[in-house]
Amino acid sequence: MPDMVSNLSGGGHLPSRVRDHFRTAEQQRESEMLGMWIFLATEVMFFGALFVAFTVYRTGYPQAFGAGSADMNIVLGSINTAILITSSLTMALAVHASEVGNQRWLQVLLVLTMLLGCVFLAIKGVEYYQHYLDHKMPAVWFEYSGADGSKVQMFFVFYFFMTGLHALHMLVGIGVLLVILGRSLAGSFSAEYHTPVAVAALYWSFVDIIWVFLFAIFYLQGLHVMR
Amino acid sequence: MTTPQAPPAAPSHIDYLSERQGIWPWLLTTDHKRIGLLYTASITGFFFIGGFFALLMRLHLLEPKGALFGLETYNKLFTMHGIIMVWFFLIPSIPGTLGNFLIPMMIGAKDLAFPKLNLASWYVFMTGGIVTLYSMLRGGVDTGWTFYVPFSTTYSTAYVAGAAIGIFIAGFSSIMTGLNFIVTIHRMRAPGMTWFRMPIFLWSMYATSLVLVLATPVLAITLLMVIFERLFRVGIFDPSLGGDPVLFQHMFWFYSHPAVYIMILPAMAVISEIIPTFSRKPIFGYTAVAYSSLGIAVVGFLVWGHHMFVAGLSVYSAMAFSFLSYLVAIPSAIKVFNWTATMVKGSVSWDTPMLYAIGFLGLFTIGGMTGLFLAALGIDVHVTDTYFVVAHFHYIMVGGAVMGYLGGVHYWWPKISGKMYPEGLARLSALIVFIGFNLTFFPQFILGYLGMPRRYAAYPDEFQFLHVLSTAGATILGVGYILPLCYLIWSWKYGKPAGRNPWRATGLEWQTSSPPPSHNFEVTPVCTHPAYDFEGMKEELELA
Amino acid sequence: MAEPIVRKRTYWIVYVVLLALTLLTVLLGYLHMGEFNMVVAIAIATIQASLIAGFFMHALYEAPLVRVVTVGGVIWFLIMMTLTLTDYHTRGWLPFPGK
Repeated sequence: MPDMVSNLSGGGHLPSRVRDHFRTAEQQRESEMLGMWIFLATEVMFFGALFVAFTVYRTGYPQAFGAGSADMNIVLGSINTAILITSSLTMALAVHASEVGNQRWLQVLLVLTMLLGCVFLAIKGVEYYQHYLDHKMPAVWFEYSGADGSKVQMFFVFYFFMTGLHALHMLVGIGVLLVILGRSLAGSFSAEYHTPVAVAALYWSFVDIIWVFLFAIFYLQGLHVMR
Repeated sequence: MTTPQAPPAAPSHIDYLSERQGIWPWLLTTDHKRIGLLYTASITGFFFIGGFFALLMRLHLLEPKGALFGLETYNKLFTMHGIIMVWFFLIPSIPGTLGNFLIPMMIGAKDLAFPKLNLASWYVFMTGGIVTLYSMLRGGVDTGWTFYVPFSTTYSTAYVAGAAIGIFIAGFSSIMTGLNFIVTIHRMRAPGMTWFRMPIFLWSMYATSLVLVLATPVLAITLLMVIFERLFRVGIFDPSLGGDPVLFQHMFWFYSHPAVYIMILPAMAVISEIIPTFSRKPIFGYTAVAYSSLGIAVVGFLVWGHHMFVAGLSVYSAMAFSFLSYLVAIPSAIKVFNWTATMVKGSVSWDTPMLYAIGFLGLFTIGGMTGLFLAALGIDVHVTDTYFVVAHFHYIMVGGAVMGYLGGVHYWWPKISGKMYPEGLARLSALIVFIGFNLTFFPQFILGYLGMPRRYAAYPDEFQFLHVLSTAGATILGVGYILPLCYLIWSWKYGKPAGRNPWRATGLEWQTSSPPPSHNFEVTPVCTHPAYDFEGMKEELELA
Repeated sequence: MAEPIVRKRTYWIVYVVLLALTLLTVLLGYLHMGEFNMVVAIAIATIQASLIAGFFMHALYEAPLVRVVTVGGVIWFLIMMTLTLTDYHTRGWLPFPGK
């Protein structure tokens, strides 16, 4: 670092963690956080386009989409929602632990968060298997006795497309947390330097937010139809 | 890639070109300047591939029945021309090359905020490009670059999914670049570099990045749905399964109309630097020009429906989109008037970059004004899907974006390579490009107005004269593009050393040596002047 | 940065509220409210999302720019939604097929 203008008065950070092209640790932290937030904005548009398409068809075929929604397993769906919200809490507590520099708690909470994520995916798999047994899996095995077969199938296409994409994001999230856990075990983090934990937590909680909306549009609309 | 050794201007530092040689130091570099050159090499390749397809089309259209190809081959030619030119040349053109090279230098930073992400964006871009090229070699795509359903999902027998996957992948490189630029401009500015001291180039690139980041994900998901529907044969857009093809067009154009601004805003960025420098005057109405970039980026998101006026869009929605489309003219006109006013009473010199800039002004104005024709519901019904539309968007994309790109490459070539290009030859080729361009595309306005539909491989005999004119123009245009390629490569080795600031321009990038050192500046610069402060610069030079 | 941004107690309160809202939204789903079933479900989901973003993701505590980005993303999604729906909601207003 030949001509680095380092600002070492900014709160006793580790200069070795400041990459060469940043002037201060604070600048690096703010850049990384902002980068993740902008990425999440792109994710809003990514899933948002699917929500728009879903809305258009749902407005067009409210009956068929209600009928499709009635086939959802509300018990498993609600449990999964609770699990994801809990994992967001453990993730937020993990950030808290990293902020106070408690590495042991950080690691425990990261493992807990990942486990909750895995339980979510397992339950999701059980649901998919049930849909398969019910012959409600478009492109693989789809049967519907009523009149609006293709429109009910449309509901399931969106269901599998959006929840599948969400599950993919969960897998990526678990991978990211594994890397964070590895770095924590390697002793990379301290009370002064823990930005990657916070950045990963943003992603994890965002995936949770997406699920909250998926739950609302897929599971909750068929509840009163069954009665 | 070999880079000839430049004689070091000052023995005390090593410039970014001669620092570490060999393949790997280039392919694994995180230096924004080297990544800019990687992008330059790639998009130049894609440009000539896309241009080759265009030339084949023009040759085919010399005769009314078509001179060279069958109908299906012709469909593949215009599709591949469109895909390559839009996604693998125009979208990454100025942001990937000049944006990468210049943004950190203009704000006085050592690099972009995320150098590794920047390198990753190039690899992602190349992966997408190779996947797309591969699906073209395997047999090509025939859907048009727009991938309209249900043709693309149900009926086309070509390699639609492969090409769509390539574009899907390349989209992520756009997002990475945009994200990197936004964070860099927010967080990496040198001390004293306030928002309103930034060169307009940065404002425009910032606006471009906003569009990249907000629009590209929608394209990605739309293509993913097309791929999904095509591979699994389930109903998403297919009308026979309850789908709505117009919904695809909504989603596609929500990206692809703003994408036009991804192409033209960076060209405007370049023009906003060239015109003040060669008029020796600060840009007229700095604040208005700065905000008009953001205005174009925002309003650009509200107008996509004008691509769908005859596609089944409801009449009331069409009226709203028509009105909003007219609004885009306001920030665009602000820019054109302010650039013109910058030249008034300036001491204008006619170097090559300025020739391109003035060419841009005229061609962009024609392209923009004919855009207003197309925003008008009545006229649009008459000229939809004719050569009028083809001519209109080529005036924007080639007359605007490519002229801006070439102007920018000439303007910053001394900084990039450290060498001057041959001025006489460069002026000549700028003139050839201008003449060739107009000869190619102006006849297409007339053709379209007379009723020649786009994407047709044959036409009635009475259109032949105009088609021959257009093909002649395309040949001239081709010469105009090959010339700069030759003399720029030549000057890389044999050009005269350029020195720090050959144009006597303002801006931090001109304060460092040419080519710049790896970390751009020997000392972190401090910005003390507003942008385009030619008076202040003159005083400083006199003191020094 | 030795001080944590949000206190643990706050996280737990938010967590309990989120679970309560989940229960509420499921129960409300059983009522017959016609189109309002969707409205209510989306409204509650929006509240939950805001709580997660605001507290778990520290959006309320970060630099103002972060809030601009968040709100900006949502606004752009709403632009896409609204302008697309202007088409679908005004189709059939004129007595011509296809308009």
